[in-house]
Amino acid sequence: MNKTIFTVLFLFALIANSQDQYNKGMEKALQLWSNGQTLEASNLFERIAMAEDDNWIPYFYVAVVNTTASFGEKDAVKLTQQLERAKEFSDIAKRLSPNNPELLIQEAMINTAWIAFDGATYGITLSPKNAKLYDQALKIAPENPRVVLSKAEWDMGTARYFGKDTTPYCNDVERALELFTNFKSEIPFYPVWGKERAEEVLKECKG
Amino acid sequence: MTGLNGYLLLQFKRMVMKQLFLILLVSVTWASSAQTTIDGRVIDKKNGPVAGANVYLEGTYDGGSTNASGEFSFETMETGTQTLVVSMLGYEPHYEMGDVNFFSDLSISLVEAINSLTGVTLSAGTFEAGDNSKVSVLKPLDIVTTAGAVGDFVAALQTLPGTSTINEDGRLFVRGGAAGETQVFIDGLRVFQPFNATANNIPTRGRFSPFLFKGITFSTGGYSAEYGQALSSVLLLNSTDVPDQEKTDLNIMSVGTGIGHTEIWGDQSLTFNTQYINLTPYEALIPSTQGIRWNSPFESISGEMVFRSKGEKSMFKLYTNFNHSNLDIDQEDINFEDFVRFQLTNNNLYFNASYKHFFENEWTLTTGSSISWDSNDITVFDTDIDAHETAAHFKLKFRKTFTNRFNINFGAELFDIDYQETVNAPDESQFESGFDDRLFAGFVESDVFFSNDLAIKVGARLENTTVLDDFTFSPRISLAYKSSEKGQFSLAYGNFYQNPLNEILRFETNLISERTEHYILNYQYLNNGKTFRAEAYYKDYDNLVKFDTELPEFSSQFNNAGFGYATGLDVFWRDNKSIGNLDYWVSYSFLDTERDFRNFRERATPNFAPSHSFSLVTKYWVDKLKSQVGFSYQYGSGRPFDNPNTAGFFAEKTPAFHNLSFNWAYLIDQQKILYFSVNNVLGFNNVNDFQYANTPNMEGIFERRAIRPAADSFFFVGFFWTISTDKKSNQLNNL
Repeated sequence: MNKTIFTVLFLFALIANSQDQYNKGMEKALQLWSNGQTLEASNLFERIAMAEDDNWIPYFYVAVVNTTASFGEKDAVKLTQQLERAKEFSDIAKRLSPNNPELLIQEAMINTAWIAFDGATYGITLSPKNAKLYDQALKIAPENPRVVLSKAEWDMGTARYFGKDTTPYCNDVERALELFTNFKSEIPFYPVWGKERAEEVLKECKG
Repeated sequence: MTGLNGYLLLQFKRMVMKQLFLILLVSVTWASSAQTTIDGRVIDKKNGPVAGANVYLEGTYDGGSTNASGEFSFETMETGTQTLVVSMLGYEPHYEMGDVNFFSDLSISLVEAINSLTGVTLSAGTFEAGDNSKVSVLKPLDIVTTAGAVGDFVAALQTLPGTSTINEDGRLFVRGGAAGETQVFIDGLRVFQPFNATANNIPTRGRFSPFLFKGITFSTGGYSAEYGQALSSVLLLNSTDVPDQEKTDLNIMSVGTGIGHTEIWGDQSLTFNTQYINLTPYEALIPSTQGIRWNSPFESISGEMVFRSKGEKSMFKLYTNFNHSNLDIDQEDINFEDFVRFQLTNNNLYFNASYKHFFENEWTLTTGSSISWDSNDITVFDTDIDAHETAAHFKLKFRKTFTNRFNINFGAELFDIDYQETVNAPDESQFESGFDDRLFAGFVESDVFFSNDLAIKVGARLENTTVLDDFTFSPRISLAYKSSEKGQFSLAYGNFYQNPLNEILRFETNLISERTEHYILNYQYLNNGKTFRAEAYYKDYDNLVKFDTELPEFSSQFNNAGFGYATGLDVFWRDNKSIGNLDYWVSYSFLDTERDFRNFRERATPNFAPSHSFSLVTKYWVDKLKSQVGFSYQYGSGRPFDNPNTAGFFAEKTPAFHNLSFNWAYLIDQQKILYFSVNNVLGFNNVNDFQYANTPNMEGIFERRAIRPAADSFFFVGFFWTISTDKKSNQLNNL
């Protein structure tokens, strides 16, 4: 009886300890990232990912950090390295958590970074892939604010290019903003980005 | 008793557990207090610092990144034997096992990883059209948005160096080779009749719609041992693995109409395209008059279907193509007062099934077969010719990747060709000819990357053909050396064998394989949207088939006494960065070739080998008009022809060839495109060749007529509409 209690207590302490280590590690990595130490952040997320090899979250962050760093990157070699690393980790994350809408829109983001770098080369092949990824994500999670926002922004870009009305997409952004207030996930360090972006886009809509 | 005993036992247990807990607690505290510092420096092969490397203990969070001098330092609470990992993009990961106490003041030297993107590539002789591949000089879209190509990817390839534009033929003539010296493969399997059947001097087109393919590799020489039976060149088409989305494509063109659809169910997908082409309305509006009269212009109905099934570790594809075409034409001939009538009906059915499986331990198996049935029903004057060809290709290939520096490819294949032709003359006499061939081949090839700067491909191919009872052995080697960050040199050498063409084998099988030897030196320079390539080559032809009649026939005497050479320089320049929205490429080919083959009385430059060829292709995106506007200009110097009125043999040349083409693709909206193109806008009067009379006239002179295109210019208008669920895709990549 007591033995059981001890064991349970001990195990709990151990888990709490490792959970604590995970939390600390992730917090530190996020802090490095917000300090602009992209490489250090990416390396720490990678170390956590390698140690926690059944958790998609740190893999996701390696992909996000490298994708975000690629927007505006002019050096083709560096950009390719970052985006290939992003894709590698995003693929592992997708294997750990299939049909995850956050990962689908992350993959689309990698494609968008390629298109932003060289639209003439990558636009024609990657645009349909993105359209498919956003459709898939929306089918799985129609109430996920980041999915609604990403798809709306993507559609808005296309509509703007062809000189079409962007109002319906602005409405989607507004809806995304509402969804942000109620969106909650039990998973620690679940992606939270997007609210500020939605506000920015909405401002452009009204402006 | 039991009670006491039980009590004591419980007490004892409590004590033990308490102590155990204490020990555990102490050990944890002790461990946390004993930190070890791990430090050192990461360098590359040349002793330079590697900055930004991730250095850590495997399975833990403990680690750090190297600074600008390659130094790292971090603390850990781990003890005992651990694995230290150093990971850095562009380098092979480094593992070091040992006690943490010894992980101090380390000096770790990283080995560069073989990088397919920035490293050396084995690219001598090849042009690739793909997405990310470094050797891609063309994007898939380029194949189809080239002015003058009108959706025919073969016509687009004719703007690359190493090809000669033989206007009246339409097929690929590579580096002094005849059209029959190029073979086409889909997913590694042979296409036996890649071009539509047509009449003499009426150019043909490729049978396949380019948008079913994700990659096209065009090799103008020195290609892999995996491919054989081509003296000059191979064109490799790879079909799409997984289509992006479900959609329906409709098109209405000045020459016909088509519909296509893609359906996806999870990992399976099906795409079909059907097309009906009829030149009657076009010919009624703008008749072709130069040396021809259409009785019934070219008409064809064709269908293509691809089924794909993707497994976790496998890929299955089934490609089918059916084509029925007919035409009825009267053509001018110097030997006859009246035009000569030519009627043709062609049926072609082609299947291509391939299966690929990825095993553990980096083994890949690829297998498949292609089968084609082709029949031509031809009537010239009152003579009927019925030709049937049934051909099949079976292939089994293995690939083992040992490391990313070393892999090996080997396989076996079988070609089975059965060709029969029946000629029914007006006097009711009948001639039959034909042959059966089984060709067995085995190949082995290995890629070795010594570093990111030096790589070699070595291979060999062994063939046995039953129709000739001939064994051939073809060694192939290709070497690449990266001389600077942006430039590389390549060398290639190979032996290539090919059976004589069907038109010869059906009369005579007591021959041996025709043979070429290729020597290639290539320099390539890539710099941010700019590509420069120069390739010098020498080709030695041997055992070419000769015969003693005008055309191969029943009574001809055949031998393998023919020979020849081709040498030249191909230059390519492409730039899509320097001028905003403008993308252009320039090709120039110099060709010096002579051969003694067929019924040549001596060595001479054949009619299909102009000395100089030049192409300029431009594409300009006009954002305001949502349009892509393109111009292409092609030039070919005069082509040799034989004038029987002079002593020389193939000593005269036609006037030079010029063609300026224009196209305009306008995006009406996301899903509708209007496309317009004109070939030979300026209406140059090109002369391809001259036909001389078989017998001299009264004054003892052989009369001649110029062989000219049926019409100088060609117009094309098309409307393309895509219906897809996301309302965004269009057929721009189909044009």
